[in-house]
Amino acid sequence: MTAPVARIVTTRMPSAPEPIRLFYVNNVFRYSQSYLKREREFCQAGVELVGCNTPEADGEILALLISSLKQVGLQEVRIDLGHASLLKDLLNAAGLDKQQKVSVQGLLACRDSVGLKKFMEQNSFPSNLREAFLQLSRCRRLGEVSSISLSGSKYDKLNKQLESLLELQETLADYEIDDLVFFDFSLTKKIEYYTGMVFEASVPNLGLPLGGGGRYDNFIEKFGKLRLPATGFALEIGKLLQALTAQGFEIPESSKTKVIVASKFRDTAVEAVKLLREDGVIASLEITKRSLEKTMEYGKLTETDYVVSVGSSLKSPVTVFDVKSKVSRDVMLETFLEEVGG
Amino acid sequence: MNKKIRIAIPNKGRLKKPAIEALGRAGIEILEEERAYVSKTSDPRFEAIFARANDIPVYVHYGAVDLGVTGHDLILERGANVLELLDLEFGKCTLVVAVPEDSAINSVGEVPALARVATGFPNITRKFFEKTGKQVEVLEVSGTAELAPKLGLAQIIVDITSTGETLKKNKLRIIGTILESTSRLACNKIAYRTFEKQISELLARMRGGSEKE
Repeated sequence: MTAPVARIVTTRMPSAPEPIRLFYVNNVFRYSQSYLKREREFCQAGVELVGCNTPEADGEILALLISSLKQVGLQEVRIDLGHASLLKDLLNAAGLDKQQKVSVQGLLACRDSVGLKKFMEQNSFPSNLREAFLQLSRCRRLGEVSSISLSGSKYDKLNKQLESLLELQETLADYEIDDLVFFDFSLTKKIEYYTGMVFEASVPNLGLPLGGGGRYDNFIEKFGKLRLPATGFALEIGKLLQALTAQGFEIPESSKTKVIVASKFRDTAVEAVKLLREDGVIASLEITKRSLEKTMEYGKLTETDYVVSVGSSLKSPVTVFDVKSKVSRDVMLETFLEEVGG
Repeated sequence: MNKKIRIAIPNKGRLKKPAIEALGRAGIEILEEERAYVSKTSDPRFEAIFARANDIPVYVHYGAVDLGVTGHDLILERGANVLELLDLEFGKCTLVVAVPEDSAINSVGEVPALARVATGFPNITRKFFEKTGKQVEVLEVSGTAELAPKLGLAQIIVDITSTGETLKKNKLRIIGTILESTSRLACNKIAYRTFEKQISELLARMRGGSEKE
């Protein structure tokens, strides 16, 4: 949903005070030719933080992501985070052509350290970059990145990116989530689109990521004249439900009571249905002329809790039939409402 | 988490035996191979699952198993997004385009428009011909694609071959190669994160084992 949000920011909110914090919960449509991924429509919930590129902005997004996942009840949440520009610039610094870049990304993505070493030897990688690549692919904590730096002024930008990861680490420590965020140099998806951190959220019980995001500082300008840095994440609601189920969470059934109101007196029946609904009961009117017995049968098949038979006036008691036990009792409607109302 | 690491192994066919041997060399002996779908191993951290090689990429993609031994060709065919951690180098085969020996077609470029292609690899086949700009009708058959030209079902087949014997026996001629494949140790992306230590250890042992040969 980032593209539609970027469009809205550009066209509808050109003078909104920055930073802009937006969220959405929406159905997303994708055309996927993959044989496996048949997810062409799915529900996504996400946030975008537009107009700011500080470590605090990135930290806020990651903290919000983790608290969102915890809030829905997930355990053992973790985030794996890479840096798109760091990888892009390292590949450029190594002087690789397009095909070679694809090869290196593939080797990184497959965690093939043996293949990576071999490739770097065959393609005469500068030794300082070779070391940096291998070290980065071994790092699992943002803090470990501090041991890496490249000497020479042409690597200033790369060193700055490495430093930015450390600053991010410090921000995450303030939020007390630094132990949940892991460094993963091999996260190479959409490297052309992201400009800074790029991340995925997961739990061990589900084999697919729950969602992810990153920083995209050059994207919004594609929709108009606004040059705004931005960062955000999106979660797939379906995956969250799968993960919750895998962790043994049972989605509670609706606790609302279901009632059918039957009566020869339509005006009283309509009135009773209205009162029941106002109190949060799922109430429906018996609109056929069938016998009470048939209504009870229907109630059983439709998992209704009670059939309520009302007379000519709600001032006199109504008869409440418990569909399961078939026990009936006469009671004032108000009393019944107090029992079952939300 | 005290979950066992699940590793899927082909339950039959040419990949089964070398897969079991490769794991054995890395110190994971299968303990109850006969008729069991789930088997204990000599390493209490790992559990073996026997499944069709065809389905293993899907199991790994969704994380139903953490690791799996299956063909590179099958991973591509199923479109599974998995880590191919190790080339196990056995089960070598080539996916080829073939026609009857007496066919007038001599190269992929000469394949006529709307030709019928019979294959057990419909996804790779479709992609391959799309790339060449050829519009073909892909007929999915499960196994024995080489029979299709004989029966007049299709003029062209896409199938795997390791020695070329079966093609020869059925009087078929190769006109193009789509890909070379070997078996791989595939890993679910999330499982790699969860079990990185154990999986790296296993990888080192498997690499050591194959180098000694």
